[in-house]
Amino acid sequence: MAGAVLEVDLLLVGAGPVGLYGAYYAGVRGLRTAVIDSLPEPGGQITAMYPEKPIYDVAGFPSVRGRDLVDGLVQQAARYDPTYLLGDSATSVAREPDGRLLVGTTSGAALRCGAVVITGGIGTFTPRPLPAGEELLGRGLAYFVPRLADYAGADVVVVGGGDSACDWTLALLPIARTVTLVHRRKAFRGHAATVDAVLASAATVITDAEVTQLLGADSVDAVQVMVKGEGEPRTLPAQRVVAALGFLADLGPLREWGLELHDNRHVVVDSAMRSTVYGIYAAGDITDYDGKVRLISVGFGEVATAVNNAAVALDPEAHLFPGHSSDSAPAPVTAPAA
Amino acid sequence: MPYVIAGPCIDVNDKACMDECPVDCIYEGGRKSYINPKECIDCGACEPVCPVEAIMQDRKLEDDEKLFAVDNRAFFVEVLPGRDAPLGAPGGSRKVGVLGVDTPFVADWTS
Repeated sequence: MAGAVLEVDLLLVGAGPVGLYGAYYAGVRGLRTAVIDSLPEPGGQITAMYPEKPIYDVAGFPSVRGRDLVDGLVQQAARYDPTYLLGDSATSVAREPDGRLLVGTTSGAALRCGAVVITGGIGTFTPRPLPAGEELLGRGLAYFVPRLADYAGADVVVVGGGDSACDWTLALLPIARTVTLVHRRKAFRGHAATVDAVLASAATVITDAEVTQLLGADSVDAVQVMVKGEGEPRTLPAQRVVAALGFLADLGPLREWGLELHDNRHVVVDSAMRSTVYGIYAAGDITDYDGKVRLISVGFGEVATAVNNAAVALDPEAHLFPGHSSDSAPAPVTAPAA
Repeated sequence: MPYVIAGPCIDVNDKACMDECPVDCIYEGGRKSYINPKECIDCGACEPVCPVEAIMQDRKLEDDEKLFAVDNRAFFVEVLPGRDAPLGAPGGSRKVGVLGVDTPFVADWTS
């Protein structure tokens, strides 16, 4: 909501595994915490790229499925009730006269923070655009389907060849009037079972085909498709197009935060995970320093370091060491009044 | 250990891999495409979709293909024919488009 200002002690930018673990530790330190992420769900790279994959190298887990690790982290942090701002992006940062950081977001809400920990991984995931249809985005073209009901009775064209495209096709079939799945290659990349279900369904599947144009003035009314080997493009009547072409990751606005970066994509940090801007820390894949290894387990260690150092920066009377988690009540940090 | 596009790509250049890469680190040359080793995040999404199996992790290359690991890197750190500076790490191939040139090693390649 535009104009709202949320006061927090610590903001984590990125709700992937490292950001989620950071929210837990911030709670242990008694910090009012918010976590912001442009994706609609927590889990970062795991949720976006490999939720079903077993991961073998997380300390303490001989094997853990991606989505189960994310669920565990969310549950671990839930004890301290962090505020989640999902589907929203941190855009700008500015220093307030009292030294706090004012972070702006795409939703228009702002956060006034004692400290910020950037756990942005490989950057925000934005849907890979459909080149032939960008002008009709929001007017028939979408990259996500938040509400199936909006597609009731419509002729829908789904574009893409992976799990998302196949899942959307199956989900829309009972609701839409017709569903056509268009993929530019011959073979689909999704789970074999999902692909088989699509091919056996009532959906029309057109492979080796590319969307060349979205037709319509105020909104989509047809989709032009060029099938390899055919001389003329086909015109499919459609009022809704779902482009499920995967994601692209980009550091985006974080590049303008005045942080020292390596290769234009990694935030340089010291051994306390401090960036070159006072009050801004970083942890996880997004960091760089001599000897850095990009692993989930390494990120967990880094964010615990970052949060505990941030806690001391906010309250110089506090101890760097947070106490043992099995103690009955670790002393909360009192952040200085703003 | 970034992924590497090796010899089978030359003169095929299917580019199915480019559709998969979440960090857009695969750049189109002339006869083949190249993975930027500094930008590759080792996710492996590109490897299974190549129709000619040209992509693998650099440590899995056969001896006669190891030169392609060096060459994938050279494409970005050396000055390519017709350009005045190395490509470096542009932050995504959509920011530079089709480059249309190859390293001398690939340009001179005969199978």
